[in-house]
Amino acid sequence: MTRGNPFPPRSSRQILRAPKWGDRIFFALTMLGALGLAGIIIAMVVALVHGATPAFDQIPFTSFLFGRIWDPGGCVNGTSTCVYGALPFIAGTLITSTIALLLAIPLSLGAAIFLTQHAPMWMREPVAQVVQLLAAVPSVVYGFWGLIVLVPIMRYDVNPVLAHDLGWTGLFGGPTNIGLTVLTASLVLSIMTVPTITAISRDAMEAVPRSQKEAAISLGATPWEVTRRSVLPYSRSGIVAGIVLGLGRALGETMAVTMTIGNRNAIPLSLLSQGQTIPSLIANDFFEAITPLEIPALMEMALFLLIITLAINLGARLILARLQLGRGAATE
Amino acid sequence: MSSTSGNATTPPAAPSDTMVRSKGKSRTGLYAAVAVIVVIIIVLAAGYAAGWFKTSSTKSSTTSCTSPTPAVLSGAGSTLVAPLMDQWSAVYTASTIGYSAVGSGAGINDITAKTVDFGASDAPLNPAQRAAVPSPGVNTIPESAGAAVPIYNLPGISGHLKFTGQILAAIYLGDITNWNNSALQAVNPGVSLPVASIVVVHRSDGSGTTFVFTSFLSASNSTWKTAYGHSTTINWPVGVGAKGNSGVTETVQSTVDAIGYVDINYALTNGVAFGAVQNPAGNFIVANITNIASAIRDSNVVFPSPTGDWYNVTVENAPGAGDYPMATLTYLFVYTDLGVAYGSSMSQTTAENLVNFLLWIVGSTGQSYAAPLYYVPLSSAAVTYDTTTINSITYNGAAIPTCVPS
Repeated sequence: MTRGNPFPPRSSRQILRAPKWGDRIFFALTMLGALGLAGIIIAMVVALVHGATPAFDQIPFTSFLFGRIWDPGGCVNGTSTCVYGALPFIAGTLITSTIALLLAIPLSLGAAIFLTQHAPMWMREPVAQVVQLLAAVPSVVYGFWGLIVLVPIMRYDVNPVLAHDLGWTGLFGGPTNIGLTVLTASLVLSIMTVPTITAISRDAMEAVPRSQKEAAISLGATPWEVTRRSVLPYSRSGIVAGIVLGLGRALGETMAVTMTIGNRNAIPLSLLSQGQTIPSLIANDFFEAITPLEIPALMEMALFLLIITLAINLGARLILARLQLGRGAATE
Repeated sequence: MSSTSGNATTPPAAPSDTMVRSKGKSRTGLYAAVAVIVVIIIVLAAGYAAGWFKTSSTKSSTTSCTSPTPAVLSGAGSTLVAPLMDQWSAVYTASTIGYSAVGSGAGINDITAKTVDFGASDAPLNPAQRAAVPSPGVNTIPESAGAAVPIYNLPGISGHLKFTGQILAAIYLGDITNWNNSALQAVNPGVSLPVASIVVVHRSDGSGTTFVFTSFLSASNSTWKTAYGHSTTINWPVGVGAKGNSGVTETVQSTVDAIGYVDINYALTNGVAFGAVQNPAGNFIVANITNIASAIRDSNVVFPSPTGDWYNVTVENAPGAGDYPMATLTYLFVYTDLGVAYGSSMSQTTAENLVNFLLWIVGSTGQSYAAPLYYVPLSSAAVTYDTTTINSITYNGAAIPTCVPS
């Protein structure tokens, strides 16, 4: 019988040897790196707030948040006052990202499920690699592809059909003689977010232990039931993390959106009309800003986007935490 | 790995037994390093033979004055004149010019912040920008000229479609929505215009091209003038926005029944087909360098004082029979007193370099580089005006001696 250790180690660090100077330097460098990254993010937020301060001071917040007209040149060309309303861009950003996610999630989850559960072994790795290649394509290339390939397809083949057959939904009204629409931009965005969600979901699903799946099979579950009852609940947190990452990418995408959305500074009333998103507006207006208040207003919008992204991130984590609590012993 | 039984009481075998080292060290790394060094030497030798390392020893000849020690000059602004600026920088060897094509707005911001020696813009300073410039204020110096041209995508139409300012304004207001509109048909007799709605394309980013286009629309149509005016950024009532001259061209060329506007330099450099615009004499003019230059000359524009308000200076709608009506000047901005503006960060030598460079740009040598690159040279009246302005730039109150290379 062994006697209990009177001094049980509390952490793995305590049972390592005393650190030498090399270890200390390594520790310091890695800490510097990690804190530096956190510091960069904080510095970015501080810089944005500092840059947006004139806008906070001079533009009433409600007229900024709910203003529908963006006319930073009105007071310059003598036609009207300069108006800085951000609502069209907030709406455009949320609409395109939401539709992009709605289209991307089923596609990515389906791909991930296929790659982990049903695909033959020889197919899994190559197809996974190709899907990950999509993530490596630069966003300008996506925009170019969208402009050259997708826009004519939407204009001539897809939009007329949508307007004719699904016009009763009220979502597809307006003229269909151009393919640069909110819908086209959302499609390009969804294709851009698929590899992110697929890769992370696939990793999460592969981490499901065989015992879970075998237990379900032994109880007589069909392949779909195995997926639905064993794999998906277990990998839920990873899937949600992947979706949140994909959403972050969709919210911040600039060039691909600029080239396909039509750059119209108004709230899109139908999926077939043109719109504008916050990153695309910043890319368009930043370098040629003509009034001193325009850049602070753009920074205020960027701050908004950052807050929306952080809020979604936080919300997703909270939901995940509640789900984890609910599952209790299912997690290890 | 040496075998150990369950409860390991035997110490693991000494490392020298278990880790078998390969005979001698691997030489792959050595060979790779040597190969890289050899490649670098070969590339450098070839580069030397090709003349990469020859410093430009050809000094521009000057006439009997002593040119100052070469200095580094920095400028920023318009992307439109960037090719011309690059050409000037390459040819002008008396100074080293660094030009950053960051956009007119950023260039104006930079000169306001005094981080560059000169700023370049396609449009003059608007009142807000002018008010933001600190003392001692900047001179506005036209250094080149350009124009906006209408482009369109109508596959069945050959030749140049004709437009008037009124028609263009009505299209961009959304009043004319179809190609077979009677007004368009009236100025294009004999052309079968399609029964199709017009897809209007404009710039989504701020641009001097928009400035000249909307100036022309304002001059042609009072509704446009009161509702939208002229500016680099417009709150467009209708249409699709595309980024850059290239974006507008790409969108128009891939969308049947589309209309847009681009800068003449971009259109000529890239071979984009464009339409004809009616001038005040009643003629429909297809833009080229010659008729834009004659428009600048014939407009007899009265320049304000160099530090004055240039926002309403226009060379549009020149009266000559063959003049192109949608012309514009491009501008450089330089402080009136370089010593007062920059303090100790600009030396007398740098100031002399800057003034010599500016005089060279607006002189005959500099302007001769414009037309081959599809830029419009200045009229002699503009050159005279610019020379006077540049000669009035002082350094701490004293005139700056000039010695312009030929």
